[in-house]
Amino acid sequence: MGQMTARRSAQLAEAAERGLVHEYLAFVLAGELYAVDLARVREILSPPPITLVPRAGREVLGVCSVRGLLVTVVDLRLRLRLPAAPVTRRSRILLALANSGEVVGLMVDEVKQVVRLAESELELAQGVLGGDVAEHVMGIARPAGAVLVLLDLGAIVSGAARG
Amino acid sequence: MVELGDKAREEFFSEAQEIIEQLSRSLLSLDAAERGGKSDPSLINEAFRAVHTLKGLAGLFGASRMGQLSHELEDILDDLRLGRLALSARVLDLLFAAVETYGQVLSAEREQSLESLPGLDELLERVRGVRQAPAATSHPIAEYELDPGVLAVLTEYEEHRLRSSVEHGLGLFRLRVEFDLATIDKALEDIKQRGKAHGEIITYLPTGEASRPDTIELDLLMASTDTLTTLRASLADDHVTIDEVPRRRIATSVTIPPEEARSEEGLARARSEAVRSEISQEPVEPGGGALDASLRSVTQTVRVDIRKLDHLMNIVGELAIVRGAVARTAERLRAEGQRQLASELARLHRTFDRRLSEMQEGILEVRMVPLGQVFDRLARVVRQISREVGKEIRLVITGAETEIDKLIVEELSDPLMHMIRNAIDHGIEGTLQRESVGKPAAGTIALNAYQKGNHVMIEIEDDGAGVDDVALVRRAVEGGKLDPAEVGDLSRDEILGLMFLPGVSTREEAGDLSGRGVGMDVVKTNISKLGGVIDVQSEMGIGTKMTITLPITLAIVSALVIRVGVQVFAIPLSSVSEAIAFEEAHVRVVDTREVMTLRGRTLPLCRLRQLFQLPDERQGRGFVVVTEVGSRRLGLVVDHLVGQQDIVIKALGESLARVRGIAGATEMEDQKVALVLDTAALMEEVLVGLEARELSERREDRRWAR
Repeated sequence: MGQMTARRSAQLAEAAERGLVHEYLAFVLAGELYAVDLARVREILSPPPITLVPRAGREVLGVCSVRGLLVTVVDLRLRLRLPAAPVTRRSRILLALANSGEVVGLMVDEVKQVVRLAESELELAQGVLGGDVAEHVMGIARPAGAVLVLLDLGAIVSGAARG
Repeated sequence: MVELGDKAREEFFSEAQEIIEQLSRSLLSLDAAERGGKSDPSLINEAFRAVHTLKGLAGLFGASRMGQLSHELEDILDDLRLGRLALSARVLDLLFAAVETYGQVLSAEREQSLESLPGLDELLERVRGVRQAPAATSHPIAEYELDPGVLAVLTEYEEHRLRSSVEHGLGLFRLRVEFDLATIDKALEDIKQRGKAHGEIITYLPTGEASRPDTIELDLLMASTDTLTTLRASLADDHVTIDEVPRRRIATSVTIPPEEARSEEGLARARSEAVRSEISQEPVEPGGGALDASLRSVTQTVRVDIRKLDHLMNIVGELAIVRGAVARTAERLRAEGQRQLASELARLHRTFDRRLSEMQEGILEVRMVPLGQVFDRLARVVRQISREVGKEIRLVITGAETEIDKLIVEELSDPLMHMIRNAIDHGIEGTLQRESVGKPAAGTIALNAYQKGNHVMIEIEDDGAGVDDVALVRRAVEGGKLDPAEVGDLSRDEILGLMFLPGVSTREEAGDLSGRGVGMDVVKTNISKLGGVIDVQSEMGIGTKMTITLPITLAIVSALVIRVGVQVFAIPLSSVSEAIAFEEAHVRVVDTREVMTLRGRTLPLCRLRQLFQLPDERQGRGFVVVTEVGSRRLGLVVDHLVGQQDIVIKALGESLARVRGIAGATEMEDQKVALVLDTAALMEEVLVGLEARELSERREDRRWAR
């Protein structure tokens, strides 16, 4: 996602000293870049075989086993009311910790990289986005020219866990 | 009060629970000893200590009601211990009731409910009632020429033991023993041990008359049934001289003050004492020893939340996958010609494999607890019910040490209790009737447990009247559960099976006990939920035997694996009675519901594909898996039978907890996940009617449309 300018590096270094830098994991959903707090992501998986669960919600893809642990896999596109798309070679599952302690899998189109952002770089997102995405958005960042939508992972997976 | 964490509170509850169970066991032994005409002061001491510990715990955790109950009980037990109160059936009843009350108090504390407990108030009332009428005591010690100096320094407990020994006609002896100061501890212990064979050493005091400066002389006061000659022969030596404590006059038989003799309690006491006086007293060790032992046993065990064990089990699952990877790596090395590395790795793999299996077994073993936990509770129930209904019951327990999954034990208590109630109420005849057919007056209920392969068998057998076929069939027909036309075709087993139909086993006129609304159908359903089955054998006039077969652990169950299209499901074998080929032509529609006839009985059908709205990619003509839970039967129409397999059921995450008809999921060998069907829930859903289902589906849709 682009090279950092010297000014930005200095800014980050300064912010890091004040402990205000957070790490985010960037990924793609329906052609847009999104990111979530890395601390909430336990693991990134290539999709294992997923077993369909009859009668589960529409956005629930099914369950899979991650080394003995049963994980419910939610399609993040559907969760955010984005158009559905088939699983591809690049699809990944983010294992995220819900507030309840349950580990929930979130299917995304493609995982990009870890982005370090200082708090000062976050813009509040009110009014920027409409629809169902808005309630899960924490803010927007524009590191090196890209637009990154920061999602509130806690709200997403806890919502999924409430399902 | 210090704020305590949840963990500490949990510890408190489980420790309190353990001590209450210990108390219950002491009381049961005490009850048995009393019936056998033996009194065992050590059992009262045990009970006293248990209650005392509970009092301490209650204080520590601010559980005031538990503290209050313990305090009152401690007083009663102290009175018993010191002989101020006679151990009557009434007092025993009270103590058993207290065990139950502890349970109520504990669950109230757990829920942090502050509501008043009528059971507790009533019990405390009874405790006070018992204590206000203390047994009169006489002082036969006065008949002995004991040194008043000795009597003055006796503790209350020692005085009680002395009085009790004298009352039971034991002789009193004075052992004057000279000890070497350097070895007195050992020597004193030694003589106490040797003395135990003959009686009880009540107290010892220094005489102050030692012959040498490095010795000390003690007077040991001993009660014994033996004669002076016997004692001298066995205990006396250079350092030990024995004399009998002379009596002022000849002791008369046990005297009971007239006011006490009139009461039932007094008579019971007189009777039991008459028996007791012929039996030598078990020697008691006051204080020390036993207490140390119980402290030690506490420190050797740890309490573990069962979820932590589940977590360990999952890690074992992860290691099993690592094991597979190691095996594949070894194969690859071999293929690449690295023979030596390959065989080294293969050797490591074998060791790893073995240790991993041991670990899995070890974890399963930790989940196991002896059935004795629940059997103790049942023994209490038997005692209570037999007194309520006035039938004399002998409960014979074997195999209490048989171990089973902790989660199963918890759920077993209610069904077993109900079956026992049934056996006492309907099985065992009244005393007169028993005697008229030449049976012993006391009915026997045998509770046997043993392990058989991967299952635990529990048998409840009574020597009562047996099941009355005719009455059972009549009730089933009257209740509309059985077509009168079918009666003639029923086998004996099928007739006995009728008792598991709802409403058949609950007799209106039984009212008091078994008629409390829970029928055998509920018992069977509860056992089925644990993956167990019940069989009944019964012989008119001879008795009834119910056999429960349970899986040894809930962590692993046998299941029938089936397929609908590409979707694989597992059905716990405990609810499968058979599987037959499906014939579309045999399906009839009754009341909008598909059914077929299986050996003369109507079997409702449920097509899993339709129920779960699975894509229509059916191959082959299909099978009907006949499932049975309690009295309900349902035929599940599936595409393929894959086979029988032992599976580990895991719960679905919270996000899917409300999906109906699915009990959980299990990992198959190919790393795929198969859903486990909840047959009881499916039956509930399919058989209860379409209307309700449609309603709830509409609700479900609304939820998702949010």
